[in-house]
Amino acid sequence: MLIEIAQFLTILSTGLFFLNFLFAFFFDSSDSYMASLVSKVYTHSSLLLATSFSIYVWLAISDNFSVLYIAQHSNSNLPTFYKITSIWSAHEGSMFLWILFLVLWGALFNFVTQNSQDLKVKSMGVISIIIVGFLLFLLLTSNPFETILPIAPINGADINPVLQDPALAIHPPFLYMGYIGFVIAFAHAIAFMVEGNSSIKWESLVRTWSIAAWVFLTIGITLGSWWAYYELGWGGYWFWDPVENVALMPWLAATAFIHSLSVSSKSSSLRIWTILLSIIVFSLSLFGAFIVRSGIIDSVHSFANDPERGLYLLTFIGILIIGSMTLFSSRFSMLSSGSVIKTFSKESFISINNIFFGVLVFSTMLGILYPLIYESIYEQKISVGAPFYNAIFVPMAVIACVFLFFSIGAKWQRKLVISSFANSISLSALVSCFLVFLVYRFLGIHGVWELISIFAGSIIIVRYLFVIWDYLSKKKYSNPFSIIAHIGLGVLMISIALNNELSTERALNIKINQSDTYQGYQIELTDLKLVKQSNHDSIQAVFLITDPIGNNFYLKPEKRKYFARGQITTETDIHVTLLKDIYITIGDQLEDGSWIVNIQFNYFIRWIWFSAIMMGFAGVMLIVSINRARR
Amino acid sequence: MKFLLRIFVIILPIVLISFFYLYINDDDYYPGADYRNYDLPQFELTELYSKADISNEDLEGAYLINVWASWCITCRVEHGFLAKLSNQNIPITGINYKDEREDAIKWINKFGDPYKLIIHDYKGTFALDMGVTGAPETFLINNGEVLVHYRGEVNNMIWQDVFMPVITKYELFK
Repeated sequence: MLIEIAQFLTILSTGLFFLNFLFAFFFDSSDSYMASLVSKVYTHSSLLLATSFSIYVWLAISDNFSVLYIAQHSNSNLPTFYKITSIWSAHEGSMFLWILFLVLWGALFNFVTQNSQDLKVKSMGVISIIIVGFLLFLLLTSNPFETILPIAPINGADINPVLQDPALAIHPPFLYMGYIGFVIAFAHAIAFMVEGNSSIKWESLVRTWSIAAWVFLTIGITLGSWWAYYELGWGGYWFWDPVENVALMPWLAATAFIHSLSVSSKSSSLRIWTILLSIIVFSLSLFGAFIVRSGIIDSVHSFANDPERGLYLLTFIGILIIGSMTLFSSRFSMLSSGSVIKTFSKESFISINNIFFGVLVFSTMLGILYPLIYESIYEQKISVGAPFYNAIFVPMAVIACVFLFFSIGAKWQRKLVISSFANSISLSALVSCFLVFLVYRFLGIHGVWELISIFAGSIIIVRYLFVIWDYLSKKKYSNPFSIIAHIGLGVLMISIALNNELSTERALNIKINQSDTYQGYQIELTDLKLVKQSNHDSIQAVFLITDPIGNNFYLKPEKRKYFARGQITTETDIHVTLLKDIYITIGDQLEDGSWIVNIQFNYFIRWIWFSAIMMGFAGVMLIVSINRARR
Repeated sequence: MKFLLRIFVIILPIVLISFFYLYINDDDYYPGADYRNYDLPQFELTELYSKADISNEDLEGAYLINVWASWCITCRVEHGFLAKLSNQNIPITGINYKDEREDAIKWINKFGDPYKLIIHDYKGTFALDMGVTGAPETFLINNGEVLVHYRGEVNNMIWQDVFMPVITKYELFK
């Protein structure tokens, strides 16, 4: 009964959202009665959908295995937390969550803004029709409410064990919040172009929302990277997996977008870029949903396959993207501003870096498309991997860093006089050269691109240290958000380079009570334990590691066998220090009784995630400060 | 310049979307299906009930291989359709995948046996050689050559869309 109610509520809200779209677009939106009607209808339809989702959560918690999806992905032995997270462990439920977030972003926007705010009614209309598109997709091709009747199974199939992990449980929600959060900016861009009133400052209306979505996306990608590192046992931070790439593309475009926004919310220059970028960011988010859910690309993230889904999504996003691009093209003259961007002004540097971001997005897209094109021509499967992406990303990132370096201190609409910063520029370059020399001489790093990346990262950091010094000593104004985020970028460049050069790994064969040494570390297998848990058995190996100075610590990697699916997983154990991770996994037992032990030294890997967190933190601070300034 | 940009922003998404449209509508393309032909890998395992040794020599002619397990809920959903195929005299060999022998026998006793023969692949080694990533997966094999590999539940739609064209082409199961 509950299942039918939840499904009915979803269908009802689909109808209401559609009605809301009609109200917003086909009645006079300047009429205050219509404006409050649109706002109220939206609130009620979102409440219906939220109720439906809550019922679904309850069905999962209460082990209602007559729901096919819950029977396939949950199990009565699971802790309640994982019963809830099992909802987004596969296609149907995660699509439902995606829609819930889409509805919630709209509801939050609806709640905190006045009905009379510019563009609000039409934006709500755009959001409503996008919700309708996704809800129809859910109901027609991926219904989470489908039941197994007449007899429900006694127990469910269990969530995939690699998904039984806190970082996984929260990384999809963060990513979805990020992807779908750009709907606010997209809806405003469409509403702005439909209204055709160029005096409206749409950029300042969406700035906070876009930065918030960007923060979610940044944190989501970081969590995903961290999860793949320790749970999938990939042992690195980035693998150019197709699904990582479809998250990276909107992130790159969104980074360009929020930079452009800061330009056009002050003056109307770059407006045409900002509008275009807002459409591109949202289109890339939708494109990611299509790639992941149509099953056209093999990845760790692949969902179950149904040709209908790919076709529906492609049609839906095709209409959205081509429709909005046509609108953009027809409003070209309204969007172009007469003002010319001065060379060496802040705007000019941001425009240049927009081009770099554009190239990176395009190259990533090419990396995803190339195997498909190749396959349809030569009927062979190939994959595009790290060498391709490194060859493009590394030089591009370095050049972008150099432009950023020279842009520090640039002013809006004024030509930057580089000579006034000559001292700090040359000093930063000098300090960085010295640093690169130290790294070359004492850490034994000889890779040319690694050294160049370290130089690029270090000039940014040192240059910002001068800015901070100027602020402290002369009270010269500086933008703290920009400083934190860009220092984060510098840290990222340096730690990726160092990680790439210094990290090593080795597979050892060790018998119980024997030891082996690697890089001055002594590794002794002291014990093997059989551990029984509620939903799995595991073999736990206990290693006593002694570092070159003589300090001891234990590492306990495991091999688990989960009962419900019979799946075997390996659990890593990691010793974290400031500079490096000691990462250990056990493989199979060989015939002579020894175990294959894989040991890795991953340098500066925490710093990579830390730098991403710095960027996200800068975004959060910026949102807080914008809202404070408004009050 | 401006005119070019105006056209470009429309043309580029149209090209991309048309490409994907053609790609997913291609006759050879079906999500989850793989039509590359290769020889059935060598294996030496045991039969589920009798524990008798089985290897490649025991399989001949045209038949289906269905990878299943008692822990797999989708296999239960798929089971009814396999029974229908079996009634149409299509031979199906089961690979019981990463499963306890007793659980598997219990499951078959409860839901019926559409299989001519069930291979017990406890460690999943044969399945690994076949490129299996989970259960259920189904293969169409003719004289030791794999013609179709499908990942996921086989139902009437998948049977008609994925398997029938190949079966008609090779004139199998006559």
